[in-house]
Parts: sequence; structure tokens; C-alpha cells
Amino acid sequence: MKKITIHTILRFLRLTNRRITLYFLLMITVSLCACGTHVSRVSIPIKVQSEIDIDTYSKFAVLPFVSEEHSSKLGELPVEIGDDIGEILRSRLARQEKFEIVNKQETNRLMTGEEVNEEWLKDTEHLSELGKYFEVKGIIVGSYRFISDTQPRRYYGERYSARHQRYIMDYHDYLQKSYLLSLRVMIIDIDTKETIWDEAYLQKTAEAHTLGSFVFSQMAPQERTLKELSKRAIADFVREITPHYEQEDRFLIE
Amino acid sequence: MYKKAVFMSNLYRFYHLSVVILVLIVVGCASRDSTGINDYNQFAIKAAEAGLWNEAIYRWNQVITIDPDNAAAHNNLGVGYEAQGKITDAVASYERATELDPDSKYYRINYRRCRLHIRRSGSETTESDDDSNSE
Repeated sequence: MKKITIHTILRFLRLTNRRITLYFLLMITVSLCACGTHVSRVSIPIKVQSEIDIDTYSKFAVLPFVSEEHSSKLGELPVEIGDDIGEILRSRLARQEKFEIVNKQETNRLMTGEEVNEEWLKDTEHLSELGKYFEVKGIIVGSYRFISDTQPRRYYGERYSARHQRYIMDYHDYLQKSYLLSLRVMIIDIDTKETIWDEAYLQKTAEAHTLGSFVFSQMAPQERTLKELSKRAIADFVREITPHYEQEDRFLIE
Repeated sequence: MYKKAVFMSNLYRFYHLSVVILVLIVVGCASRDSTGINDYNQFAIKAAEAGLWNEAIYRWNQVITIDPDNAAAHNNLGVGYEAQGKITDAVASYERATELDPDSKYYRINYRRCRLHIRRSGSETTESDDDSNSE
């Protein structure tokens, strides 16, 4: 009986050295593809702590916000918007279980005869005194600036031309009306009379107008836009001072 | 006619070779997981992706019981613990994974992110106080 050696097998398969190398490489590639490491990405909730000491500052009074002087280019803004911003902030904070907020009725009752103005923001002594009446650890005050700007813009696109029987470059002129809200929020410590939080939150939005719709938009009340931007800015502030969860990616190995 | 014969002969050889390669791959992959570790891990990952972290952690613990030096299982367990807010356990698992396989960039990334989170939150012994996040 003929003895089977590796040479006889190779001769039977007619494998040259070059072919053997090629097959070997192919085998390694296929094996790596089949048995390689697979990685899955998952999002996990990560607890983010409050940026203030919520054990100390758990009870707040929120005063109406004040409009920064000579800031509006939109003409007369509704006078009561400062109250509205304060109310939005009050309701947002009241939803958090960690905080206790003095309600609107109580705030109005204690603020009778007083009118918040820009000078108050610097007078921490006065705010501290006021906070003692509210029996809170911190008092939240702030100001807002609402700016609107209109710029002519040109939008380039393509349209089908029946005359040329092809798409041609085309443009449209329009007016872009931008709104910018800068909301400054301060927290005053009642005991130390120090400002423990002083941040400005910027929010902006834009609308595209034709000449006709622009005229109408100038006449329309801006209150809704301002409130919407205030809500977003307040959400940013509340998020920073409240413990919350954020999603972060991690890798799982198969 | 001759060319056809050569082609058929080559095809026959390739067929044999392909069968050999396939058998090797199947045997190679199967020999890696004779204890069901891979199945447990796959199941746990599916559970984790569905947000069932308790189930996933249970499975990864089973994998570690079978193979205590399985770096992937330690890493995945760390992710599970971190998702549940058990930061101390997560750190221990990540450390074990990086000890077992110091060359894996994924273990290092997870470990670093966990450490960063600890520094940001300012507490290493944070335990889950919100059950709604566990499952």
C-alpha cells in the first residue's frame, strides 16, 4: 500500500507554495471575520449632581424678573413678562422634590408695595432682609434682555426650467428675523448675603419672512416668543441646580 | 475540452479546500465556547440593550462563576453596575477587566468614563437611590 505523505496530498491538490500562502491568508481572514471581537454600544443613565448644595439651599423664594434698561429694540414689551418669567421658574422648581418654593400668592402678599428694579440685583443686603420675611435659605432674582434683529437673506436652490428642459440655479430673497433672549439668574444666600449663583442663559430663535409676513410679524405681540425662550432658558438653569440623569455611552464586549 | 477539464479539476480542489476551511472555522469557534459562556454573554447583552439590567447582571455573574478570568464579562458587569448606580461595584469590575486584559481600549474607555463620572459627582460610594433607573 502506498504511503500517504504531506507531499502526496499537496501533489494531489496541485498546490504550489504561492497557492498555499494565498489559501492560508484567506483562511486567516475568514476566521478573523467569523470569530473577531464584537462590541455593542449601550447608553446608560448617569446621575449628575446639582451644582449647588441642595441640602443647604432647599427652600427658595422667586422674585419677579426685571427688564434690563434700554435693552429692547422691539418697542414696548409687556410689563408683566417679568412676573411671568418668575412664575415659570417657580412652577418648574416646585416640580422638583428637592426644593420647596414660596408660592405666588405668598410672594405677592409679602411684595405688596414693593417694586423690583435693576438696583435690587446689586443690593444683596436688601434681598437678604426680604428673604428673612420669606423664611427661606436662598432668594432667586434676575433680569432679562430681549433683542430682535432682522437681516435680508438669500436662499440658493435649484428649480426645473421648462424652457431650458433642465434644473437651473435659482434664488429667493427673504427676511430672517432673529430673537435673542439673555436671561440672568442669581441666587442670593440669605445668611451670608453672598451671591452663590450668577449665570446668564442665552436662547435664540429665528423666523423666515416675506416682506408681507414681516410687516404682520412686527405688529403681532412678541410675548409668546419671549415666553417660549424664557421656558428654554429656565429649563437650562433648573437642570444645572437639580440632580438629574444624563445618558452616556459604554461598551459591551461580546 | 482540455480547458474545461482543468476548470473542473480546479473547482473540485476548491470545493475540498472550502470544506476543510469551513470545518476548521466551525470547530475553532465551537471550541471557544463549550461551557455556554458565549450564549450567556449574548443573552445578557440583549437584556442590557432592552434595559433589563438586573437580568444582564445575573447572567454576567454566571459567566464569571464559570470563568472567573473572563475580562469581557467583568467589563460588561461593570457597565451593568454603573447603569444601576452601584459605582463602587462598577469600579471594581472595570479594574478587574483592565487587569485581565490591559490591552483592550474598550475596557480602558469604560473605566476612564466611570472615573470621570465619579470625579464630577464627587462621591465614590453613590448607590442607586432611584429604582426607576434600574429596570
